[in-house]
Amino acid sequence: MTSASMAAARTTDVMTGRVPSGKLGIWWFLASEIMTFGGLLASFVLCRFKAGGWEEQAAHVSTGIAAFNTLLLVTSSLTIVRAHAAAERGEREKAAKFLLYTVVLGLSFLSVKAYEYSGEIAHGFIPSAGLFWSFYYGLTGLHALHVFAGIVANFALYVAAHRVAVWPKVQQRVEYAGLYWHFVDIVWIFLFPLVYLS
Amino acid sequence: MTAESHHPSYLTIWIWLVMLLLVGLVVFLLPIGKAMAIFLIFAVAAVKAFLVARYYMHLKSETVLVLAIAGLPVLLLIGMALTLVPDIVFNH
Amino acid sequence: MSQVAAVEQHGHGELSFWRRYIFSVDHKVIGKQYLTLGLLMALVGGASAYVIRWQLAWPETPIPLTSWVPEPSMYEGQLDPNFYNQLVTMHGTIMVFFVAMPILLGGLGNFLLPIMVGADDMAFPRLNMMSFWTICTAAVVLISSFFVPGGAASAGWTGYPPLSDNPTYTGVYWGINLWLIALALEFSSFLMGGVNFLTTAINMRAPGLSFFRLPLMVWMQLTAAVLFMLSVGPLIGGAVMLLLDRTIGTTFFLPGGGGDPLLWQHLFWFFGHPEVYVVLLPGVGAVLEVLPVFARKPIFGYRTIIYSTIISGVLSFVVWAHHMFIAGIDPRLATPFSITTILISVPFAVMVFAMIVTLWGGSLTFPTPMLFALGFLVTFLVGGVTGIFNGSAAVDIYIHGTYFVVAHFHYTLFPTVFFGGFAGIYFWYPKMFGRMMNETLGKVHFWLTAISFNLVFIPMFLLGIGGHMRRIYNPMQYEFLRPLAPVNQFITVAAVILLLSQLPFIVNFFASMWWGKEAAANPWRANTLEWTAPSPPPHGNFETAPTVYRGPYEYSAPGAENDWLPQDRPIPAAAAAVRG
Repeated sequence: MTSASMAAARTTDVMTGRVPSGKLGIWWFLASEIMTFGGLLASFVLCRFKAGGWEEQAAHVSTGIAAFNTLLLVTSSLTIVRAHAAAERGEREKAAKFLLYTVVLGLSFLSVKAYEYSGEIAHGFIPSAGLFWSFYYGLTGLHALHVFAGIVANFALYVAAHRVAVWPKVQQRVEYAGLYWHFVDIVWIFLFPLVYLS
Repeated sequence: MTAESHHPSYLTIWIWLVMLLLVGLVVFLLPIGKAMAIFLIFAVAAVKAFLVARYYMHLKSETVLVLAIAGLPVLLLIGMALTLVPDIVFNH
Repeated sequence: MSQVAAVEQHGHGELSFWRRYIFSVDHKVIGKQYLTLGLLMALVGGASAYVIRWQLAWPETPIPLTSWVPEPSMYEGQLDPNFYNQLVTMHGTIMVFFVAMPILLGGLGNFLLPIMVGADDMAFPRLNMMSFWTICTAAVVLISSFFVPGGAASAGWTGYPPLSDNPTYTGVYWGINLWLIALALEFSSFLMGGVNFLTTAINMRAPGLSFFRLPLMVWMQLTAAVLFMLSVGPLIGGAVMLLLDRTIGTTFFLPGGGGDPLLWQHLFWFFGHPEVYVVLLPGVGAVLEVLPVFARKPIFGYRTIIYSTIISGVLSFVVWAHHMFIAGIDPRLATPFSITTILISVPFAVMVFAMIVTLWGGSLTFPTPMLFALGFLVTFLVGGVTGIFNGSAAVDIYIHGTYFVVAHFHYTLFPTVFFGGFAGIYFWYPKMFGRMMNETLGKVHFWLTAISFNLVFIPMFLLGIGGHMRRIYNPMQYEFLRPLAPVNQFITVAAVILLLSQLPFIVNFFASMWWGKEAAANPWRANTLEWTAPSPPPHGNFETAPTVYRGPYEYSAPGAENDWLPQDRPIPAAAAAVRG
């Protein structure tokens, strides 16, 4: 038996699960991420209740800017799920295009965030200015790091989508990157009202 | 991983998400009681998250295993948060 | 077939030294790398224990063999109090995160899981490699914290704020920051590992290998992985918060800024309690694999053990506040958590019972792995029972923070990591390295360890009842502890013997690699799939993917020609016809 056919025999012999390994792996990872962000969000909510709302501190965040950012992120979820649908149908260039849109929207989100931070810092609302601000920077900062990681992954897939040789792998991985990206979006969907609308 | 033929279009979901975003902003600006506002805003967020999870992450068509992997942490978190209420919220 | 030929057959061509032994994606190599890391870090952890014990027995006298440690940690062998706190902290951190988990999960788990499920490697081999190098980086970061100004973390392995939060309280700045970073890296490493373990076991089992035909070691590794994945998140959040408090002036845990120190404790122990079961279960798994082989009997209550494991995993998420009974929690939380804590002893008692009954009526032999497995049973029982005292809030008010607790958790952790871990190492060494370990040295190692271990930790219960607090630098400062000085000295002498008792193991481990008797594929006549592969298995593990026909514990099956029946031995045609 050649090594190639031995490998083929192996993978068809084993009891492959109904969920592809990559997807299963990403979901387990997301489970731990849910616990991480959830723990932080729960801590924020509880501390906020105890402190009586932090209305005075919270008045200084810009709801308008954050609402715009929410729009950006939600739209980027649309573009990446379109990328996944295109990849599933084998439409390589369309998938690449929607991946690029997602990257651009993600970068816009981060730029808006940077603009927001610089304004707040200029007004003296730094992390040590109060417990609300501690949570604000901690939560949005950690979220922004996750957005950045997602942008890197999506961009890498965008680049890889132009190489026909690796396209089959990219096809699968668009879905997994999408799952991660949707999770990051969902975190923001909760973050936005809890920080900006309460 | 087959594309279902009868799911709402991704664009439709996006429209719902944007509308819910606006609803949330409206609730924020309304002169209703604080507790009611917070409850409504959080409910809106939950619906938005549910839409993304069900239609964008395709949880609608996923196996029980994946649903369990996604759902268990959420339940755990709610349990943890509730247990912490006496200590963190009401502790002097 | 030779190693090189096997590697070439898999289409990789000839790999360089670096790709085969250092940056390998083969789960067996990675498993051995984890094992090496764990054993090396155990030396560091053991050394810190030595210094701690000497200081407690003969406070403020020069400690032998330490004159090389520079100021301000030690003054010509005399221990500085801050350095003492650092050693106490690092002993705990290293033993839990860099010894127990690497040996039991990274080492045994990585090596065994793919082979036991009949796969050729993990689902994500490159992720596996990355997980090892992440924890290596973490270990380097942690050890480096000893050498920065201010020294290493010194606020206990539990790192409670405000002590850990404000650098002026401990005098340690970079040390605790590096400690937090090292922990974050370690958590990432095991999150990567957890993803691999779970996906591999769910998706890559050999044909015929249903979940209820899996070896119990696999069940234990999977449960541990799930517990870890679901519990570590809140602490990662908490660690980020503590690091921000220390660096950019946030006040998450500082009351002065509106923060709550109790929040850290809740976040820490929400993870911390499932974590001890993450460490415990694989150790139990090793014992569960060893006992049936050397009793030549099926494991008693296979499914019961699995259900008990799952129940204890679920319960482990609702007991955490028993670490906080006197921390100032709402008193109404004390009773529910006492109840759940005492409840959780039930599934473990069931498991221990099943293990004991497995032995009953068996044809017992006592090579070294079996001795360590039996040693686990006896000592873990003490640990479990004393947990009940701690778990009852009323009693805990008196014994919390004393040496009673220290003795309790050493009677659970040491049996798991060292009795269970050594049972596993002695048992699977032939498979890992293709050589048998020396039996005489093994028995000497066992008896010295078992006896000295008990001599160290039994008296500690007495210290605790006597009110001896933990983590203190000089007990003789306290009038009421002076009468306990002889007990401390006795414990230290026993501890030195315990540390020296590991020498036979170290010699045995290395010498056997070159001079041990060459091992056959199945020297112990065991049933699980790893024993059907050569010792050591080639890259890809099996020549063809095995097919499984039965569960893993068919020993002394009636009518069988041998007293063991491998999982992949086909059912003879006549018998298959009878089964219809």
